[in-house]
Amino acid sequence: MLSCALFFRWGKMVSLRDLLPGFRKVHPALAKNRELFKDFNQGRLLTEYQFVVFDTELTGLNRRKDEIISIGAVRMVNLQIELSQTFHCYVRPRDINPNAATLVHRITPEQLRAAPPMEEVLPDFLEFCGDALLVGHFVGIDMHFLGKAARKHLGGMISNPSVDTMRLARGYKEARCRDHFGGCDQSESYNLDLLSDEFNLPRFKPHDALEDALQTAYLFLFLIKKFKHGGIRTLKELYLAGRILSLMGRG
Amino acid sequence: MAADIHSVAPEVVVEFLSTIMPFNELDTDVLHEVARHVRVDFFPKGTRLFTAGETEVNFLYLIQRGGVKSFLTDDEGEVTLKDYRGEGSYIGALPIIRGTRANLDIEMVEDTFCFLLPRDVFLDLINKQPGFAQFYLKSFSEKIVNTAYTELRRHRMTRRGDEEMYLFTMQVGDIIKAVPRKIAATASIQDAARAMAEYRIGSLLIHDPNDDEQIVGIITDRDLRNKVIAAGLDYQEPVSRIMTGPVATVLSKSTCFDALLKMMTTGIHHLAVERKGRIIGVVTSHDIMLLQGTSPYSLFKEIGKQRTIQGLYPLSQKIPDIIRNLIKEGAKAGNIARMISLLNDQILERLLSLLEDELGPPPVPYCWLLMGSEGRREQTFKTDQDNAIIYADPKDEQEAQAASDYFSTFADKAIDHLVNCGYPLCPGEIMARNPRWCQPVSVWKDYFSRWIGTPDPEELLNVTIFFDFRPGFGKTALAEELRKHLREQTKRQEIYLLHLARECMAVKAPLSFFKSFIVNKDGEHRNKLDLKTRGLTPFVNFARVLALKYGIKETNTLARLHVLAEEGHISEELWATAHDAYELQMQLRLIHQLSQIEEGILPDNYIDPAQLSDLEKKMLKESFEVVERLHAVLRSLFPVG
Repeated sequence: MLSCALFFRWGKMVSLRDLLPGFRKVHPALAKNRELFKDFNQGRLLTEYQFVVFDTELTGLNRRKDEIISIGAVRMVNLQIELSQTFHCYVRPRDINPNAATLVHRITPEQLRAAPPMEEVLPDFLEFCGDALLVGHFVGIDMHFLGKAARKHLGGMISNPSVDTMRLARGYKEARCRDHFGGCDQSESYNLDLLSDEFNLPRFKPHDALEDALQTAYLFLFLIKKFKHGGIRTLKELYLAGRILSLMGRG
Repeated sequence: MAADIHSVAPEVVVEFLSTIMPFNELDTDVLHEVARHVRVDFFPKGTRLFTAGETEVNFLYLIQRGGVKSFLTDDEGEVTLKDYRGEGSYIGALPIIRGTRANLDIEMVEDTFCFLLPRDVFLDLINKQPGFAQFYLKSFSEKIVNTAYTELRRHRMTRRGDEEMYLFTMQVGDIIKAVPRKIAATASIQDAARAMAEYRIGSLLIHDPNDDEQIVGIITDRDLRNKVIAAGLDYQEPVSRIMTGPVATVLSKSTCFDALLKMMTTGIHHLAVERKGRIIGVVTSHDIMLLQGTSPYSLFKEIGKQRTIQGLYPLSQKIPDIIRNLIKEGAKAGNIARMISLLNDQILERLLSLLEDELGPPPVPYCWLLMGSEGRREQTFKTDQDNAIIYADPKDEQEAQAASDYFSTFADKAIDHLVNCGYPLCPGEIMARNPRWCQPVSVWKDYFSRWIGTPDPEELLNVTIFFDFRPGFGKTALAEELRKHLREQTKRQEIYLLHLARECMAVKAPLSFFKSFIVNKDGEHRNKLDLKTRGLTPFVNFARVLALKYGIKETNTLARLHVLAEEGHISEELWATAHDAYELQMQLRLIHQLSQIEEGILPDNYIDPAQLSDLEKKMLKESFEVVERLHAVLRSLFPVG
């Protein structure tokens, strides 16, 4: 399709401009985001931070070519899941193919065509996130695609630190293993579904960004409270729990 | 704007709330609004959520996954377990409603996820939603048998679709039970009142003195009160002075819904039912409300009002509906079983009095005995008949023959009627129609003397249910005389109790069942558990042996255990634990049978552990462990070998 091709080329031009310092223009949403984290205090109790647990659905796993087609997120305040504060949005990709990934996600090409493009969704999402810490399962992948979109559409990186529940789960299982000499489960599965079953969490429908975000939020809540008999209380403990915290955009 | 931020509450909360009481009664809009305020929190196993008298309660906690126990700790650190609560249960309602701190200690017995409803949102529902406060405040103690029925009726549960259908499919003509009662317009007010008293009815039709098919009016209880007694009218005045005429009528082919509509729009609650120009009866709003038959009290009254045995047939079929509602309202199994026996007793009483009317008075006084689970007041939905007749010793041959003839006919008919009411025959023929179990007092005493004096272990097993007899109808003194005899015999020779105790100890608690179940977690091993013989019977047998030993006349298992504790034969702690364990199993069985009935399956006692939640499994396992403690008590009383 002609429009798609044009859109693609225009997108490429933006990213080229990004490389030239003189042309860099920062989107107001991103400027606000940076402002929020200028004096980020890492020393507080976990209950004093807000968390936004999120998940993205992608057209595929090719880091260079693939794109985000939906974002689902839920906020946690005082380490409780605020079910009424959710974010759920489809994103129109540059290239709409009824490929395997969209089938898995049960998102139809029509839904995607009707959806807003990333440059409209991303500022809303950043607004929703505010100064919260981001939480996701295998969050590195989500952060990569989010970061890629932020660079392209907003002119820079997002400042919110992120927490990976997968690495937290690994830390938890390893610690539990050390506590029960030898009696530990050798299965090395860190898939969200299997972990949710293993920990007997209430279940949500998989492959929907919002439902997966909720599932991840339950997992996160479970892990931080089960860790070390008494739970994780500070951000520093959370970092040490499996070195699961990466302060992206701050290095 | 593209993103739907801060908008719809996730379906998960709405879905959850719409399955639990009393949220399931809320309008969809209100439900969604409530769901918007809900948060999720997680409490690892062992978390102390409330400490009685200390914790400020800011949320109503609804358990999404996991389970908690509630208990009280007294000044000396003694802990009394109150309750286990699992998925769908709530925590913290009472302190919020009463504005107090936590009233119980609450601790998580499993990793537990809760939905948290903020205090203010909950209080708002309590204030604005009819039935909400009652739901949380109502207690199911003795009240249930006394006064709470009207409230129950108002506080209706989730209506099943077919209950409302009933209103649309039943015709008025189908629900009239008796021939129309009427009196001439010239009769005195007092005669009319006498007729109403005799027929036990609340209204009477008035006919033309010259043509009794010509209905000219109607009087009701209210007329007698307002127009006669309150107004000081002479009782000898003709009834026509106080009647309402002409009578509002409804066609017998009208649906009950139409009749109800007519009553509601006219404010007239007694309608004469007309078929082919003739009045064939009267229908009242009460009759129609009964179709929805969910109030135990209204059913109870309705049974008492029946003038024909046939009229009782459909009424006993309504008992499962009543029980279903009680379960959904959170009634405890012990109370439900009492309710079931109360209703069954009422049916029996009505049936036998009507049968006496039909056959004439008995030649000698008698008592209809109930045995087994009926005798223990522990019936569930499916109750085989276990009954017998004991009658006073006849004074001569002739009276003996008369008694034998009368009670044999009486028993035959009674048992047929009971079958028609939905109580299946006893496969072992332990019924009053079996001549062996329809005998005078002296023969019954001989039976018990023999069972006790020269016990044959085989035979003893077959007659254990006789030891749980209680009077069902008739001359109670006869049953008491037999009970006294049993007590005296037992004092002299206890050997038969040893047989009963051994039998009781031979049935091991099915703990291994859980081990194999855990091993075969996801396998094909769908072995089921017979909750009656493996779970409940050990408690029943234990209570029976000890009750007989100590001459306790109660027959109900929980009541027996209670008296045993009161008299110091078992510890208070064992009583409380055994009570909880027994009641929990009864509850599981009731719920299991209820769901079978709702699926149209014949109810049984086989529980599939795969259907149980983790909490239920845990609690069931703990209940079985109590059996070992009961056996230890028996071993110390009846040493083996």
